[in-house]
Amino acid sequence: MIVIHSARIRRMLGTALPFAIMPALVLLLPVGVQAEYYALVSFLMVVLALLLFLSGFERRELGTRRMILVSVMTALSVIGRLLPLVKPITALTVLSALYLGKEAGFLVGAMSAVLSNFIMGQGPWTPFQMLAWGLIGLFAGICAEPLKRHRALLYGYGILSGAAYSMLLDVWTTVWTYKEFTAEGYKAAMATGLPYAVLYAVSNLLFLMIFTKPIGEKLARIKKKYGL
Amino acid sequence: MRTYDAMNPAAVAVQLLLTACITVFCMEPVLLGISLLCAMTFFFMQNGTGHKGFHLFALGIPLLFALLNPLWNQHGTSVLFFINNRAITKEALFFGAVTGLRLAAVLYWFRIFSDLMTSDKLFYLLRFLSPKLALVFSMAVRNLSLFRQQMHRIQAAQKGLGLYREKHFIDDVRGGLRVFSILITWALENGIITASSMTARGYGTGKRTSCTNFRWKRQDVLLLVSALLLSGLVIALIAAGYLERVFYPVAVPPDRNFGWYGAVAAYALLAMLPLIHEGKEMLLWYRLRSNI
Repeated sequence: MIVIHSARIRRMLGTALPFAIMPALVLLLPVGVQAEYYALVSFLMVVLALLLFLSGFERRELGTRRMILVSVMTALSVIGRLLPLVKPITALTVLSALYLGKEAGFLVGAMSAVLSNFIMGQGPWTPFQMLAWGLIGLFAGICAEPLKRHRALLYGYGILSGAAYSMLLDVWTTVWTYKEFTAEGYKAAMATGLPYAVLYAVSNLLFLMIFTKPIGEKLARIKKKYGL
Repeated sequence: MRTYDAMNPAAVAVQLLLTACITVFCMEPVLLGISLLCAMTFFFMQNGTGHKGFHLFALGIPLLFALLNPLWNQHGTSVLFFINNRAITKEALFFGAVTGLRLAAVLYWFRIFSDLMTSDKLFYLLRFLSPKLALVFSMAVRNLSLFRQQMHRIQAAQKGLGLYREKHFIDDVRGGLRVFSILITWALENGIITASSMTARGYGTGKRTSCTNFRWKRQDVLLLVSALLLSGLVIALIAAGYLERVFYPVAVPPDRNFGWYGAVAAYALLAMLPLIHEGKEMLLWYRLRSNI
């Protein structure tokens, strides 16, 4: 396990690595790496980003109660698939991030991806889904205050994260199909993924509209009652 | 008799992931054919003749891929015919077929991986990364079935109250949301109780001790070492360029030298490790039975 003693550097790295790695993955690689290893390298980097972030979790003081609540929210987001195709995972990830913090948001998103894939089927796309949902949670946790205050902003975030999720997975589709990242390939993948992007955005909005008030109240109440 | 899925999860995961990963990053049709053949044979050994839907999906999508690739891919020189003034070339068809083969093989390997690596085994592997995370993960898995049971209980209570009409769409949706909302309240409180109970029993106070469910036996070590060695050899030969294929503008058959045969043979052995194991155990079983 990687041990960094300075808490400040650790915190900085924990947040910066997933952010730094995704842009680096898309932009910097074609210069240094041969095209045929692009898919391999990008896959490895995503796995590495996840491992780094998750292994940092061991040393973090999240508290037993918060930890259990993360597992509860994960299970709820997987079980809350009331309709086929549309999943409330994004909505519940965002809400957990708002009330339980950015690390909890990342974990709920990433673990929901793994768990729901036990039902939908695991594959090489699992790490990408984990990262995508994890980042949605992380960002929501970072911008928790404004998102909690303005409802319209939260809905905008839901729509945006649906589109961003689809776009991030299109990167994977491109890399996997063409073995390298090309602008045309990405455009083609985005065009095929457009119906899904719209579906994600709409379902995120819908679930956020339904869930924000009741679940937000419940989480706020739990936090107040037990002093988390 | 020890079946393949009873082996140490770490060894099995390494073998399956390496086999699948090499398949993903290789475009040599012979190697891909071997990969698909081994995966399908093992899948049939595990599941019999069932799962027709999966076979249809895993073989149909790649076929579609192979047929559609020439439509948007205009590279290649040997034109077969024209559709709407777009040249359909032999090379594009071949490339599509190889890509499809690769896709099918990977789908089968990951299906096998999903079937063998159940959540308890993934939990065992995750402990190496972070015990805390493994705990959260395993509790989430347990919560799934717990919440499902609780949901049925809440549903029954709600029905008993006589709040909803039978077979009524709006009432169904409203009822579903209400049940989910009640479930969330219950789940959060239940989680806090679990956490308090854990704290009361001294969770997080001292160094954590644990027991291992999966032991390392000689067979496991042998499997792990042979998987690592074989895949190392294949990856080294691929990196040295022995399996490189040129598809455009003209498909060139590979230079079948010593390195090519070495890589393909090593990969075949790697992909056949599960089959070899199952075959050996089956032989042993029949031999022992006939002695009784």
